[in-house]
Amino acid sequence: METAAIIPAFNEAESLPSVIREIKELFPDHLIVVVDDGSTDETADVAKKFDCVCLSMPFNLGIGGALRLGFRYCLDREIDYAYQFDADGQHDPTQISSLLSELENSDMVIGSRFSTDYSYEVGQSRKAAMNFLRFLVRIYTGQKFTDTSSGFRAFRKPVIRLFAKEYPVEYMDSVEALLIASKNGFKISEIPVQMRERSAGQPSNRNFRLVYYFLRLLIVLLAGTRGKKKE
Amino acid sequence: MSTSTHILIAVLALGSLFLIVRLVRLKALKAKYSILWLTVGTSLAVISAVPQILDWSAEQLGIWYQPTLFLLLAIGFLLLLAMHFSYELSRIENRVRILVEEISLLKEKIEKED
Repeated sequence: METAAIIPAFNEAESLPSVIREIKELFPDHLIVVVDDGSTDETADVAKKFDCVCLSMPFNLGIGGALRLGFRYCLDREIDYAYQFDADGQHDPTQISSLLSELENSDMVIGSRFSTDYSYEVGQSRKAAMNFLRFLVRIYTGQKFTDTSSGFRAFRKPVIRLFAKEYPVEYMDSVEALLIASKNGFKISEIPVQMRERSAGQPSNRNFRLVYYFLRLLIVLLAGTRGKKKE
Repeated sequence: MSTSTHILIAVLALGSLFLIVRLVRLKALKAKYSILWLTVGTSLAVISAVPQILDWSAEQLGIWYQPTLFLLLAIGFLLLLAMHFSYELSRIENRVRILVEEISLLKEKIEKED
């Protein structure tokens, strides 16, 4: 049983080394797949110093594009379990094992920041946006999720296979991915995790863009999360 | 339709036909797109040669001012065209993405072998 960590990284040269080091320390047998999303800093060089796989994309495709490449790589390597992990150090590697053990019961596990009283500070507008998303996802999937946009998730092989082809490539990919997995009949569960402060890098949200992505997501939802796609 | 409009349309029609044929010969325009534009050019030419067609169809549709029909058709055509381009663009975006994935995977494979 091979397990891989997919780490999408866009200009995260500063925080990436400690993230890789920590995972390696705790889980030496995990394959680490860093997807350099067209970084303009030394992200790729930093990653190559470690014993890990570094996939460098020629230009920035966004986190969804990076993740999809990661899934594709895992599919080619016939990885059994994969989890996505942030390069900015906000995820706590000690929580990986609880995420993975929950995979025994489901196809996809989401590490939720909100399902307990763990403190995790978010801004007003983000909070409103997240509430709205939660509501939409609940209607659509018929399942209650407390954290629809968490980027700390683990997957079994069948989900990896699905996401290698169908992972949404636009921003808010995490919400759409949840919908796609649910639509394909996979069992998704959620466990509480604790987050850290971001050790470096900037949060990737800008409010006016958020509106645009919201509208896009609404259209996706109304269109029934894309039917059969060609190609 | 007045004579001057008549002449204007004729010039436009001939000009666009000439341009399309030239672009296709230079291989600057794909044949599949040229069909579209050739249709436009030809219909313009026909309308300018026999303006009665426009007058007659406008009357049938209850349009009193004939150029309105012409503009309506033109706008409709442009809308369809814009939609078609959005469609093509989405498809190309998707293909570029797949190519980027393949390149990155291949690059990794090559670097590993070195």
